[in-house]
Amino acid sequence: MTSAVWSLQWRLALTRKRIFILNVVVPLTLVMLIATGAVPPRAAAGVYVVLFSAFAVFGSSLPLRWDGQRGMSARVVRGGVGPASYLLQRAAAGAALDTLQLTPSLVLATAAAGATPAATAGTLLALAGTVWVSGLFGTLIAAASRSITETALFSAVSVPLVAHMSGVFRTPAPGSPSALLESASPFRALHEALLQMTVRGPSTGGVALLIWAILLPGLVWVLGAPLHGALGRVTGGGLEGA
Amino acid sequence: MVVPNGVEVKEAGRVPGAIRASGLTYRYAGALPALNGIDLEIAVGEVVAVVGPARSGKSTLLRVLAGLVPPTSGTVELPWRRTSAGRLMVGFAGEVEPHFESMTGRQNAIFFARAAGLRHADAAASVEEHITQLGLTEDADRPVSQYSFETRRRLLLVEALAHRPALTVLDNPFIGLDQAARSALIHILRLQSAKRGTVVVASHELSLIPELADRILFIHEGRIVTGGRVAELLGSIGQSTRIEIAFERRPQRLDAQFRVGTRVVSDGDPLVLETTRGATAVGEACAALIAVGAVIKSVTVRESDLAEVFRRVTGAELEA
Repeated sequence: MTSAVWSLQWRLALTRKRIFILNVVVPLTLVMLIATGAVPPRAAAGVYVVLFSAFAVFGSSLPLRWDGQRGMSARVVRGGVGPASYLLQRAAAGAALDTLQLTPSLVLATAAAGATPAATAGTLLALAGTVWVSGLFGTLIAAASRSITETALFSAVSVPLVAHMSGVFRTPAPGSPSALLESASPFRALHEALLQMTVRGPSTGGVALLIWAILLPGLVWVLGAPLHGALGRVTGGGLEGA
Repeated sequence: MVVPNGVEVKEAGRVPGAIRASGLTYRYAGALPALNGIDLEIAVGEVVAVVGPARSGKSTLLRVLAGLVPPTSGTVELPWRRTSAGRLMVGFAGEVEPHFESMTGRQNAIFFARAAGLRHADAAASVEEHITQLGLTEDADRPVSQYSFETRRRLLLVEALAHRPALTVLDNPFIGLDQAARSALIHILRLQSAKRGTVVVASHELSLIPELADRILFIHEGRIVTGGRVAELLGSIGQSTRIEIAFERRPQRLDAQFRVGTRVVSDGDPLVLETTRGATAVGEACAALIAVGAVIKSVTVRESDLAEVFRRVTGAELEA
């Protein structure tokens, strides 16, 4: 299997230097405002989770939908890359780039909270897993929507919803269905890691994140062709001109 | 190879083999069939030109033969679309294709060569070779967003050819190419043919086809109406020139007005003459008709070329 798409995503990201820098500076500015302000730690952790996951979901879904609609995805697959491989390489490169671009923000947040290097490393690991899963959510959202605006809408709705299910906005009663849902939610690990730095609490979300990080790519692998086909002009090149 | 719609597309074996199609149809939703029962066989190493007017089904046929879309019904046997090592063995260039606009032409071409299964070094070397041959050297390291239509066309050809496919399918490849690039492309495709690569080209450039193609398939309204080698097709209509004369006012008599070698083929409107005397017969025929009182509105001279072959078979114009 060629790694051409992985390399391509890096090349594209590094070619667009202005966007690359903005992707570092914009979340860093937001985190700085929160980290240096009088924001309660619980609220700060919630904002960080939503910010980082939204960054990854939008960063995955919108460009993928756009490339699908303009026939680029179809052309790449027609050029020899398998549809599942194409989607997974994009998601993997996106997750690596997101992690790289969000690392300064995360380091700032952990430094402001006085976290140890070990806690920072753990949180970074949770971030990497979260953006990987979020990017794959973005892939599914791009395939499920029928236009760029619909992709933006679905992304905007799904991020707070999953964050809510992960217990970001409230603490469910122990043993309740909400608590069960939270324990299986993908963003919980990052939320817990961020909370651990300040208010201490349970740290059990890692397993759920690991399961999501394995199951979702498996799902994309199995459904690669229909997901890719749903992205837009699967035939490419405009058959209407025949 | 398994494709949707229950249509069978078989792998022809490890060695690239002939393309065989039987009863091919392709129908767009709510439209007449673009392909309407096509049977064909293209041998290994053959260069075939598919020729027909706009919307005759050329582009659709090319996409089906390249394995990009499954036919609505019928069977296609494609030679070896991919090697066991995963290398793509079909090169396709449509008339317009999207690119990664922020990347250079060279970066785009290397990406597609790598996507087709070439290692980076091989991809870079092959792309460089094709960039040079097709005259893209000056533009190769500029972003594609700055490319003209013509430059994009050259890049598409580089991308279709750089991975050295066993089957090359090109839709109107000469559009936007200057004479040097056209000659270079013909040279590349003939070289592929010599190395047992199969080439299928749709083109409006009839003047280039005798140099490029071993065989021509004329397609009209989704059917292959005739085909053969250039010499055979031209031979089928003889070496005569057709003269079509439309009148403002017809003469009283049409017979016995023309010199030996010129005869009336159709006494309708327009009057159709056939002559073995070449273009000189045009003036003679017009003079003869005017002498008997004709007022001529227009004269059309049709040499015995490929367009004339198509016209005689279908009654339609190739460039309509």
